[in-house]
Amino acid sequence: MRKKRAGMGEAPYKKDNETFTYDGKKVTAYPAEKLFDMIKEDFGEDVEGEVKTFTAGVKKKKEYKEIWLKVKRERFHELVEWMSKIQVPHLAVASGRDAGEEIELIYHFSLFYGIRDSEVSLCVKVSLPKEDPVIDTITDILPGALITEREKQEMLGVKVKNIPDPRRVFTSDELPEGYYPWRNDNDPEVEKELVRDLSKEGL
Amino acid sequence: MLDIPYEVEILLRSTVGAIAVALFALIFGLILVGIDRKVHARMQSRIGPPIRQPFRDVKKLLYKQTIIPENAVQSIYNNAPILAFAAAMAVMVYLPLGPFSPMLSEGGDLILVLYLLIIPSLAMVVGGFASGSPYATVGAQREMVLMISYELPLASVIIAIAWKAASGGLDFAAFTFSGIMSYPIWDHVGAVGAVGAILLLGTILITLPGEMSKIPFDAPEAETEICGGLLAEYSGRNLAMFMLADAVKTVALGTLVIALFFPWGLTPTLESVLDVDINKYIGWGIDFLFYMLKLILLVVVAVSFPRTAFSRIKVDQITDVYWKRVGAMALVGVFLLMLDLQVL
Amino acid sequence: MAEKTFTVPIGPIHPALKEIESFILTVDGERVVNVELDLGYSHRGLEYIVTHRCNPIQAIYIAERICGICSTSHPYAYVQSMEHAAGITPPERAEIIRAIIGELERIHSHILWAGVAAHEIGFDTLLHWTWKIRENVLDVLEAITGNRINYAMFTIGGVRRDIDEKGIRQIRSSLQFYREVFDTFVATFIEDTTVKMRTRDVGILTREEAEKQVAVGPTARGSGVPKDVRYDKPYSAYADLDIYPIVPDEFTHEETKGDVYDRIVVRIFEVLQSVHILEDLCDLLESTPGPITYQQNLVVVLNQLKRAVGEGIGRHEAPRGEVFHYSMLNKREQPVVWKVRAPTYNNYASWIPMMKGTQIADIPIVIASIDPCLSCADRMTVVDERTGKSRVMTLQEMREMGWRKTKEIKRRVA
Repeated sequence: MRKKRAGMGEAPYKKDNETFTYDGKKVTAYPAEKLFDMIKEDFGEDVEGEVKTFTAGVKKKKEYKEIWLKVKRERFHELVEWMSKIQVPHLAVASGRDAGEEIELIYHFSLFYGIRDSEVSLCVKVSLPKEDPVIDTITDILPGALITEREKQEMLGVKVKNIPDPRRVFTSDELPEGYYPWRNDNDPEVEKELVRDLSKEGL
Repeated sequence: MLDIPYEVEILLRSTVGAIAVALFALIFGLILVGIDRKVHARMQSRIGPPIRQPFRDVKKLLYKQTIIPENAVQSIYNNAPILAFAAAMAVMVYLPLGPFSPMLSEGGDLILVLYLLIIPSLAMVVGGFASGSPYATVGAQREMVLMISYELPLASVIIAIAWKAASGGLDFAAFTFSGIMSYPIWDHVGAVGAVGAILLLGTILITLPGEMSKIPFDAPEAETEICGGLLAEYSGRNLAMFMLADAVKTVALGTLVIALFFPWGLTPTLESVLDVDINKYIGWGIDFLFYMLKLILLVVVAVSFPRTAFSRIKVDQITDVYWKRVGAMALVGVFLLMLDLQVL
Repeated sequence: MAEKTFTVPIGPIHPALKEIESFILTVDGERVVNVELDLGYSHRGLEYIVTHRCNPIQAIYIAERICGICSTSHPYAYVQSMEHAAGITPPERAEIIRAIIGELERIHSHILWAGVAAHEIGFDTLLHWTWKIRENVLDVLEAITGNRINYAMFTIGGVRRDIDEKGIRQIRSSLQFYREVFDTFVATFIEDTTVKMRTRDVGILTREEAEKQVAVGPTARGSGVPKDVRYDKPYSAYADLDIYPIVPDEFTHEETKGDVYDRIVVRIFEVLQSVHILEDLCDLLESTPGPITYQQNLVVVLNQLKRAVGEGIGRHEAPRGEVFHYSMLNKREQPVVWKVRAPTYNNYASWIPMMKGTQIADIPIVIASIDPCLSCADRMTVVDERTGKSRVMTLQEMREMGWRKTKEIKRRVA
């Protein structure tokens, strides 16, 4: 009835939905459970985590999976290298929070993009003690991670080792040293000076 | 008739005439800019500004404060607009305005006009460099490249036409406007020559947007790239002067094209069609109105249409277009004109 | 050679930039030798506001105001992340309506972008024409949601308004309109000689570079990376449709170069793709009756969210690429963590390889080619006070300033 519709149906450039060709290398999508087992096998006790399953769709129900991992910071860089051997991992962003004694960074990767319905999100958590919040840079593997690493430095006070460009990104240079907006343990005096809520001041 | 001594008559002609020409060029130039903006807007399905908008713009600019940047070379920066305006005005005195022959006419004024037309652009370049802004510097560099680019095809057209007139028996008068006007190119060419003349007309029409720095050849002023380029630092009176120079230059360029390619008046045709004798003064009026109509049509075709239909091209592409494509077009035109002479 | 180069600042305020940011270009004549990026001019601290002052429902409206153009994409990802964190499943009809709004937004966003791109290369006629045809979809959105942008359709666990028969009819007539004008759109944009002259071989981002610089959306697809969240991962009603990412070689029939032209092709054909998706979604909506939220009473939802412990990610393919939200709830009035990742945030890095070696004249179109949405990517304003100190300025504070200014103007007028 309708002639071929752009952007809908079978992709014209790839017959095989299971694989993704990159630089002559074929990438085969593993199910999330298998990927998780592979990581477990190679990293053993240094990683722990789970696979979460969700369902989507209206008439056709489909499942999709996320892997949530916790990795020791010494092996984090190695894990990213490990992933990049399968496919250049996509880094969505690194988020983070102040978890009391520690700073927890969460790197949101995804693998197997470019293959229908088989992308696996990997959320990799790394805990850094507050007295020594140092983590290795991954810009040597993914140059595009620079901005998010710089943001983590200025917002959470993390130190990224070997970062090519340590300057601030979003905050002003006039923001005092040692004040990190996303931390909960800022000096209340400094915070009071910097943050105002005028609706509470009755203006 | 009043008995006026010859010297007084010359004096009167040059003062009153110069003032009249200046006023006409200023007012009609701004009207042309207004018409161009209106037509451009209507073609983009906008309402557009009223035709008197350029007058308001100039008036407002004259009111406004003139800011001189800190690291500008003041003397050059302030004098460049005056130079541009004066040069554009000077061109007008050498040009025939419809039925009126040029106020000043010497042998070779065609070449003089060609050079005088460069001066407003040169003044803008000098002013741009003097304003000490990186945008203006980039703009000035681009304007120089643009001038080098369009000068070749423009000069080849003018010289080809003058050469044709000269070989047609005009000799030295060929490089004067009165000479060219009395020798319309279309009346003296065969079929091959006509094709050549059409190519030359096309060439000069394509150089017009370049001369006026209009899209697609507005790289020196490119608003989204270098914030207005040459004019980035200009404001107030200085900017108003540049605007007026631009308006006058529009009239001058249009008049040049009309003198070269469409010199006819309407009166002889009307006289033969209606079979009446038209009073000399009424005839002047009719021809002058016809000349203004030709100018408006020319500006719409050569400026408003391309401005609507094309995007801005880069400065290296401008050189490419003018030297390779338009230059080739002009050369082919000249060649065909020469061939035509042989055939005849 | 060093003296031959000089610097040209582009921004923070510049006609080529629709939002404030700053580039310092080092140029040699017309050629760009080096680029410095300076960001953060429109950082508004929204994450700070939400994690300190707002409950999860209020945060939807802040998410909506992250960006004017992708004002559905951010709530889309945000509600997904919250639903995952709290274990809420929205009803089916709501999922379809969400996708419909998302696709309508994509149409208007891409057409808006096409106009901006045309303006950057000095083609104002196209700017006016594209923005004229964009009005059609805005009218439909206004009819369905009550607003041209900032639709306020999303809520946690569903949507706030249903689309009735009349709404579907309006969407369908709008789709018909876009089908009709699409050929003209292609002819005036993709097939136009001057557009091609200005954009071919300009701002090249190779496929490898795009993957390494973690580019997303049309920026990545323009370089030939078939990456589209709607295809990679089934979510919402998109799981029912067979969508595949648009890459340029299908339409240009040339090798993918990853230049500005390829990105234009991707965006323009995505308009057509959205039209097709919407046709299917309209059919789907008609055959799927049911509620539009899992819980009508907001107080119940809010209480559930306050008690919830968990974390979730939400991803949506916005017009500019993948929007990513991460939220964490921990028995608190406010979310504990809220991280917003707008597509432009990832595409920033691609600018530098694109710009090096181009001409100054190409910079505006290269900047525009990733369709930057800076207010999405920066989210905190730090303003300089007269005292020379800087501080974080809150949204409320800005609003107060706005009110004060209005009052002042009123007083002056009276």
